[in-house]
Amino acid sequence: MKTPMKQLILAATAVAAILATAALAAPADTIRMRQGNYKQIAAAMKGINEQLKSDAPSLPAIRAGTRTILRFAPQVLRWFPRGTGPEAGVRTRARPEIWSDHAGFRSAGARLLVAARNLDAAARGGDLAAIRAAAPQLSSACRNCHDTYRAPEH
Amino acid sequence: MSRIAVWDLPTRLFHWALVLLIPALWWTGEEHLYDWHFLLGELVLGLILFRLFWGLFGSSTARFAGFVRGPGAILAYLRGSGPAGIGHNPLGALSVLALLFLLANVVGLGLFATDEDGLFPGPLARLVSYDSARILAERHEQLFWILVGFIALHVAAILYYLLARRDDLVTPMVTGRREMPAGGGEMVAAPLWRLLLAAGLAIILTLVLVRFL
Repeated sequence: MKTPMKQLILAATAVAAILATAALAAPADTIRMRQGNYKQIAAAMKGINEQLKSDAPSLPAIRAGTRTILRFAPQVLRWFPRGTGPEAGVRTRARPEIWSDHAGFRSAGARLLVAARNLDAAARGGDLAAIRAAAPQLSSACRNCHDTYRAPEH
Repeated sequence: MSRIAVWDLPTRLFHWALVLLIPALWWTGEEHLYDWHFLLGELVLGLILFRLFWGLFGSSTARFAGFVRGPGAILAYLRGSGPAGIGHNPLGALSVLALLFLLANVVGLGLFATDEDGLFPGPLARLVSYDSARILAERHEQLFWILVGFIALHVAAILYYLLARRDDLVTPMVTGRREMPAGGGEMVAAPLWRLLLAAGLAIILTLVLVRFL
């Protein structure tokens, strides 16, 4: 009994240490991480919209963008642990409503995921008309959330 | 004294169009109404290009070669010893150049800019990365406020001429005519074909820049 118990304690300690590290991940790091991720999403959006503006959109370029966005979209809600709002003491435009109106925030995140999946599916399908129909839904999913849960730039 | 022509209609329309467009561009930018912001910005790009062509082969008072003067002429004007002419005075010429230069650069930066979400990349933003396009968007905005400073200086100068020197510069920019001592010369209006050429070149160049480049 002695050895397995020892192992259990060791394992529990290790797990606790990992959890503690995660919990202690400075809010500043979380904020920086999510800002970097949002920039990658925005860069992907820029690429997609540039293609859609052109007379001969490149499907590979559009797909590269939709893939990037679809990679991030399921994670977005996890980028906002409690304590990473304005109270973190780091510059962030995350509004307190993210946590006070969590149901609304979650549904905005869900809307992003649906729109990202639809646009990626359309891009993989290769039908430009379908892509052009799906793209505005993704744009409005971005705007919908930003209007409510992101403070203005200035 | 006689009422003589000093500004032709294209030059006046160019001026007053900008008076309307610049505040509209500020507002559409501020409110993130980018579809309108781009349309109006492309219109300003066309107007600037037109003005550059008009400055090369337009009516006499619109031509850069006719009104852009060196430091000597500017100093003489400031001392009040320069010859009185029609059109831009040597100091005002600097104002015209500064305003045109700044406006052209604000518009030029805007072509490469993007909003922070990447939803509205400018017509040439695809030539630069997202990070670069964001920096250019910031410069676009900063330079706009420098332009606003120069516009304020321009308005202050006009008020100075009006109040301190009893010289109304606004009415001639509306009517195209002003009272001048006889014998001071008159504007030589460019023929219609030159207007069509300048407008045509400006439209083609604008379309190339925002649609086909």
